[in-house]
Amino acid sequence: MHGVKRVGQSKEALGAKKQREQAKIKDYLALTDDLLSRKKDKDWSKEAFDLTTRLLQVNPEFYTIWNYRRSIMLNGLFPPSSPEEINSLLASELSMTTAALKAHPKVYWIWNHRQWCLENVPEGPGQDGADFHGWRKANWDRELYVVEKMLDADARNFLAWNYRRYVLASMPIQRPKVSELTYTTRKIETNFSNFSAWHQRSKVYTSLWDSGSLDPIKCQEEEFELVRNAMYTDPNDQSVWMYHRWLVGSGKLYITVGALRQLNSTAL
Amino acid sequence: MSSESQLLIPLHVSYIKALGDNKDDLAYHMTTHLRMNAIYWGLTALCIMGHKEALDRQETIDFVMSCWDEDAGAFGAHPDHDAHILSTLSAIQILVTHDALDMIDVPRVAKYILSLQQPSGVFAGDSFGETDTRFIYCAVNALSLLGHLSDLDVEKTVSYIRRCKNFDGGFGARIGAESHAAQVFVCVAALAILDKLDEVDQQTLSWWLAERQLPNGGLNGRPEKLEDVCYSFWVLSSLSILNKISWIDSEKLTSFILSAQESENGGIADRPGDMPDVFHTHFGVAGLSLLGYPGLADLDPVYCMPADLIVSKGLRKSWKALERRTE
Ligand SMILES: [Zn+2]
Repeated sequence: MHGVKRVGQSKEALGAKKQREQAKIKDYLALTDDLLSRKKDKDWSKEAFDLTTRLLQVNPEFYTIWNYRRSIMLNGLFPPSSPEEINSLLASELSMTTAALKAHPKVYWIWNHRQWCLENVPEGPGQDGADFHGWRKANWDRELYVVEKMLDADARNFLAWNYRRYVLASMPIQRPKVSELTYTTRKIETNFSNFSAWHQRSKVYTSLWDSGSLDPIKCQEEEFELVRNAMYTDPNDQSVWMYHRWLVGSGKLYITVGALRQLNSTAL
Repeated sequence: MSSESQLLIPLHVSYIKALGDNKDDLAYHMTTHLRMNAIYWGLTALCIMGHKEALDRQETIDFVMSCWDEDAGAFGAHPDHDAHILSTLSAIQILVTHDALDMIDVPRVAKYILSLQQPSGVFAGDSFGETDTRFIYCAVNALSLLGHLSDLDVEKTVSYIRRCKNFDGGFGARIGAESHAAQVFVCVAALAILDKLDEVDQQTLSWWLAERQLPNGGLNGRPEKLEDVCYSFWVLSSLSILNKISWIDSEKLTSFILSAQESENGGIADRPGDMPDVFHTHFGVAGLSLLGYPGLADLDPVYCMPADLIVSKGLRKSWKALERRTE
């Protein structure tokens, strides 16, 4: 448990709370038992699917039920469905878990389930051309939007950042890498102590420099300017200092490589 | 709020003992997905506090065995829950603690664990494929306890951890992920078990770890985050494995952990004034053991289990804790 304040409750108040909970416990256990025995019996029906929705809305941490839900889709719901129907089933799955995610932004199982859904979006609606990726593109674009909303709510949520990197790396139509620089600039300008955004920036720059898409020396000059601004705003903030440390270190590296290249070209 | 200066051992023992009596509490039933882990946390904390007998041995073993998932060949978190590497490691740790590994088909469990390794070297948590450096630690720790480490492709495993290393010396959950104290612990401890600590940039990482300490003595898990008893443990155990506990103020950390105790009914919370739980109780007690708190048994920070057990299995690595104080 994290960040749950202790509240002094009288014995009477606790007793009353437990009394109220008894009916809930009974329902919860009945639903759990029903689902676990259906799972044992390989019940892949829509009815069982709807029951998993009910249970997961109460307890999104119940990983076995998420597994069962996916098994029902794979074995019961997908086989008789057209690609179009599968696509809309997965789209509604993603909407349902968006609500769950807002309430439980740090529950790994929900993020996993979304990833599984994305990866199961069929190709289409067309057979070829731009339409071939239509459904996939629409779902992945929306996913990026959702993860940005999650990072607006908590800019340090590392599950959301991990998921963002996954989405960016696996989108059917890749976004230019520099757009991630724009995104991190925006995050950093909103809050200089967002180390998650600084970290992301270090990774994006490294990849852009390694691929030769951007000139490290030029970038570093501009970057020192940004860092100086941040330090001026809050000199005690660790995030900026850590990023500065990286920038200085990477600078040495690339300056050395650059100098060697120059040396080589003059020698030639 | 209480600012206790002593570890309230009898209270914490009764707190852990009473956890199984909360069956009229909705939260008890909502947390079955963590039950196997919870028993491992409770049992280990009890061992460190010298009260292993407080949880009935046979009942505990029976519960573990009731979570066996015959289809997968591993353990779920609760009867009829699916096998997962997290609950499987906890089950193995509990059985080792009770010297009851002979209850299980060891080669079969080892095979399950090895089946979760992905081509990149990382491990999945279960057959649905979520990957995380945490699961590498679970696999390496479990295989080592089972005596099957020699079945593991060490270079493949280490190469994934290497790719998760960041400029600050730390490690993240996946390639490209931000350094995070819990992920640092799992990577460092896995490398320790594999005798590959030379992969760690020890100076930089120890600097990053020591920077986690805040003015109130507690440690956070990432820059500019709040202190927390569990993060304190992950940082501390990593420093212990790297033999650098002296890089933080251990007195202040000790008082921070003690101040997070619940002084009426026992248990330790994430930070002072919050609700206690068995997870933070375990990590609080484990941290105090590494800090040399008097009267506690030694904890092995690599396996996060009683140190004498790990020694008796011949698995001890070269970590260093603070010397046990006498009062
Ligand atoms: Zn915590």
